[in-house]
Amino acid sequence: MKKALSSIYIIIIMLFLYLPIFALMVLSFNEAKSMAVFTGFSLNWYVELFNSRLIMYAVVNTFTIAIISATVATIIGTAAVVGLDAMRPKTQNVILAANNIPMLNADIVTGISLMLFFLILRVPQGYMTILFAHITFSIPYVVLSVRPRMNRKTDRLFEAAMDLGASRKYAFRKVVLPELRPGILSGFLLAFTMSVDDFIITYFTKGAGINTISTIIYSQVKIGIRPSLFALSTIIFVVAFVALLIVNIKSKKQEVELVL
Amino acid sequence: MIIANKKWASPFIIWIIIGTIIPILSIVYYGMTSKDGGVTFANLGAIFSHDNLQALELSLLLALVSTIICLLIAFPMAMILKDSKYGKQGFLIFVFILPMWMNFLLRTMAWQVLLERNGVINSILTAVGLPRQAIMNTPGAIILGMVYDFLPFMILPIYNVVSKIDKHLLEAAYDLGANKITVFTKVIIPLSVPGIVSGITMVFIPALTTFVISNMLGGGKINLIGNIIEQEFTVNSNWYLGSGLSLVMMVFIIISMLLLNKFDKTGGASLV
Amino acid sequence: MAELIRLDNISKSFGEQEVLDELSLTVYENEFVTLLGPSGCGKTTTLRIIGGFETPDKGRVYFDGQDITDLPPNQRHLNTVFQNYALFPHMNVGENIAFGLKVSGKSDQYIKDKVKYALNLVNLKGFENRQITELSGGQQQRIAMARAIVNEPRVLLLDEPLGALDLKLRQEMQYELVRLKKELGITFIYVTHDQEEALTMSDKVVVMNNGYIQQEGTPEQIYNEPENAFVADFIGDSNIVPGRMIKDKLVEIKGTEFPCIDGSAEGFEPGQPVDVVIRPEDIEIRPYGEGLFNGEIISKIFIGVHYEMLVKSEKGNFEWLLQNYDEHHVGQKIGMYVRPENIQIMKKPEFDDEKAMELDL
Repeated sequence: MKKALSSIYIIIIMLFLYLPIFALMVLSFNEAKSMAVFTGFSLNWYVELFNSRLIMYAVVNTFTIAIISATVATIIGTAAVVGLDAMRPKTQNVILAANNIPMLNADIVTGISLMLFFLILRVPQGYMTILFAHITFSIPYVVLSVRPRMNRKTDRLFEAAMDLGASRKYAFRKVVLPELRPGILSGFLLAFTMSVDDFIITYFTKGAGINTISTIIYSQVKIGIRPSLFALSTIIFVVAFVALLIVNIKSKKQEVELVL
Repeated sequence: MIIANKKWASPFIIWIIIGTIIPILSIVYYGMTSKDGGVTFANLGAIFSHDNLQALELSLLLALVSTIICLLIAFPMAMILKDSKYGKQGFLIFVFILPMWMNFLLRTMAWQVLLERNGVINSILTAVGLPRQAIMNTPGAIILGMVYDFLPFMILPIYNVVSKIDKHLLEAAYDLGANKITVFTKVIIPLSVPGIVSGITMVFIPALTTFVISNMLGGGKINLIGNIIEQEFTVNSNWYLGSGLSLVMMVFIIISMLLLNKFDKTGGASLV
Repeated sequence: MAELIRLDNISKSFGEQEVLDELSLTVYENEFVTLLGPSGCGKTTTLRIIGGFETPDKGRVYFDGQDITDLPPNQRHLNTVFQNYALFPHMNVGENIAFGLKVSGKSDQYIKDKVKYALNLVNLKGFENRQITELSGGQQQRIAMARAIVNEPRVLLLDEPLGALDLKLRQEMQYELVRLKKELGITFIYVTHDQEEALTMSDKVVVMNNGYIQQEGTPEQIYNEPENAFVADFIGDSNIVPGRMIKDKLVEIKGTEFPCIDGSAEGFEPGQPVDVVIRPEDIEIRPYGEGLFNGEIISKIFIGVHYEMLVKSEKGNFEWLLQNYDEHHVGQKIGMYVRPENIQIMKKPEFDDEKAMELDL
């Protein structure tokens, strides 16, 4: 009885979560432009999607920004964790409190604050300002993923390497980095997905004439939804599904902490 | 032994100062400055104008309602996941993480397609001979969108905490004579507080500050505080007023977080 | 024996907390030295200063006559077996053991032979390709030993290496460590809070508390002639009783006079208050009225080889701890006798810290 109830509950919630997405997927293969009636199978909307230079540029922007910002954030964040380790606990706490601000703050506030900052400095908004913003909100996630790995055990392993004659550099490269690796990896992944997913902060920092997937969806929805967006949804869903599957399998093998 | 020099943290510290602290201070600066450059509280006081106050009230109400709905759906879900063999790292967790990896604008758009006057739901309703429903552009549609978008952010933190509750604690409670209800209210719920608190944070704050969901499912007819701030920046280019209202909103965020932290004595609500 | 390591007036604080206070210690070549004390006594910090992982605030460290205080660990001729082993989790057993040899640029063949030799030495032949996670605690412990000794250090530092093992394995490993030390012919500096471990293996035991060395000596000296109440209490079970010297070689404890072997020659003057240690196995049971003092047995438990009893003395109402092979009954009245050489007279503590410690007892 209890089991049956839980199963029903799970099914209802799953339908709630996935039915809307599947509706989009079905409509993406619809011949007509209708948002309700399925008139016949076609790939027209996929053709339109791939022929749209606007959307294709947005896709390129989204992924180059995500890769660059996640890489920079991972480097700065990892270095930060290493440097923080050398500081007194009190200093560390103050810095980590500041680190938490972008995560706890509402995205709209982060977006507005960066927009104002660029306006004050008269920095023309575009690709570079989006990149700067994305690095800013990604660093805290990297720090939070890597920091738990910088613990007593890592300290001891470093000491063990030094004890066995390794130089500081060698011990860091051969022992500390491998120990931090799972945290670095999940930090990078987290930063990457946050960047791909972000709309609000990008929206306020992008300026005119540049788009990412998120901002182009927003502007198109305002004008009127075209089914090519359903095609885009379908592709994104499949890519996310495959990517998450790979990460999940890998994380089981290599104990990468799978964060949200 | 110290592994490396603290200088390694300096790019990080510089980035926090330039990318986080100075921009936030510039909101404070603009929020307290009038157009001619003098110090003023008018931008803050603007929240008491009729439209703004109404928007803030509606935002608080909708955010509160969707947070409560999310919590009511998520807690039983987390408990089921905990006991399920598909729970830990398994299929079900995967199911709840996947929507988060999909762009939330597309997810919101999906509801627009479903709820539209000529959308999927109304087509089905007319097909079976029922009257059309005007769900779109109502506060109800916005709540639906919020719950849909943010539900996973409530389920996962609660699941993470609930799944780590030591089984022996529950056994000890039963051993000491507690019944199921007592175990639930006196052991499971108190131990889940960190997860509940971080779940509420992750739902309430984005819901309170959103302008996207209200724009897409409210058809521009329903103004939340987020919409008003957004318009001050993008349409009216009145940064002073926009900053002032943002400051007021930040106050509400900080108050709600302080209230939440009172409940979470461990202070260790985890996102992970 | 030649002096190998000398700590000269070492002081070390972490923040407000003073961990070592002007500690001086000499370790000789080929010695098995154990630093023994409760947690927080400064023993691990002392070891870490010798290893080069901490720098003392004051004082110098000498190795073979040379000042090595500021030398980093990778330039010291000693190796460490860490608490919880600190084996590199991303390397297999062979790579772990080879780490130090690779760093020092040894040839592949040499490394291979040496790893094999080390695994043989710790009785884990053929374990080269095992993963660290596949090993039991005891095996990990042996690998940690092997990884340290392949580098042929002159001194091996061991930080509670048996702390994570269960009792039986711990006892086995104690013999193993003594055998290894003999085979290698090097100096061991060993840190533990387990007095049995210290007494079993060491040539010299250094008892520490609150950052001071309380007593230094052979296991026999430490056990039989504790210099103060802390050492007496920390090592084995004992009756520690305040007393007063009556005259040369006669001490009064709880209203009873006991002949002893200490007196003016050891600096104990008549009338001086002292602490007296009597080990529970040194109180002999006699028929009632035939010993030095009488009492009544108030509790008894059997602990393996012998019985342990609490006896309340008629004079002074003091509860004495006794150990005896023969069974006696609760409620029985007995006489008790202590041989003069089994009465250990100690000076009252001089340091405030020790007084504080005494109150804790």
